[in-house]
Amino acid sequence: MSQRDEDIKRRARELYLRASSEVDPATAGRLRAARRNALDKPQAHATRRMLLPAGAFAVVALASLMLWQPLTGSSSAPTKAVQSVEADSDLPPDADSADPALYQNLDFYGWLATDQRAASPTR
Amino acid sequence: MEHEDAEPDKAEPEAMNAGIALDSTLLDVVREVPRSMDAFLAQVERRAWRMAELNLGNREDALDAVQDAMMRLVQHYSGKPAEEWTPLFWGILRRRIVDLQRRRKVRSIVVGWLGGGKDDDGDELPAWEPADEGPDPSAKLQDAQAYNDIATAVRTLPRRQREAFMLRVLEGLDVAETAAAMGCSDGSVKTHLSRAMHALRDQLEAWR
Repeated sequence: MSQRDEDIKRRARELYLRASSEVDPATAGRLRAARRNALDKPQAHATRRMLLPAGAFAVVALASLMLWQPLTGSSSAPTKAVQSVEADSDLPPDADSADPALYQNLDFYGWLATDQRAASPTR
Repeated sequence: MEHEDAEPDKAEPEAMNAGIALDSTLLDVVREVPRSMDAFLAQVERRAWRMAELNLGNREDALDAVQDAMMRLVQHYSGKPAEEWTPLFWGILRRRIVDLQRRRKVRSIVVGWLGGGKDDDGDELPAWEPADEGPDPSAKLQDAQAYNDIATAVRTLPRRQREAFMLRVLEGLDVAETAAAMGCSDGSVKTHLSRAMHALRDQLEAWR
């Protein structure tokens, strides 16, 4: 490499470094602001990093709840069926689950039901 | 971009504020391994802006490019060892500059098609007003003129030659760091730099 090349390199670098060290105050201030802005951003990332496991935990908890409910719901399903059957007055009550006293007084309850139906239009 | 005139920064190298004459001490400061990301960015931000300005010929675009490069470095590479930040940062800035140049080219083509006349985002000549500290005003004027001459000459180089010259000569990266920042081989860096020096030698015959 020639001496001329070395001179150009040395002089160009010297000017570049001096020009960089003598940036006008307004630009220097904006560069500082840009740096602070860049350095502040990772804090948002850190918050996101903390929120991510919390969100994942919430999703897992919700999924567990949804899986657990059908399992527990199956044990209570017959009760609901009995209740719905009992609610329907046109069907006779289930003999296994109904109160034995109900069968003993079945005639009375039948009379009561027909009597109420007959009485209701007059009210 | 925020306009904030911040108070003096502790992380900022003293050499940047003092406006001292260049000597080997300042050149060593340039290559010092930073203590923190803040210190690293404080060390390179003004040079990065000068380099972006030389490439883009526009102060605002240069600020945008530097800000974006800082954000990307912090977000993606702050976990890397400090020794790796230098080529990573200059590589990010180089790509950002290329992106902005391409965008401006497309914009100027579109403006031309639409018959909008001259694109107002045109190049400015990078200007530097040396600090008024030396006893010799003619030397100050000579430096300002010399800077404009080298800036103009560098901007006429093909992109890869310009990048090799700026990173290797102006910024002082070694061949491997320059290759990493440019995304090419060591041999390509040497070739681009050799061609750049040849072109500059021809353009700057009487330059001092």
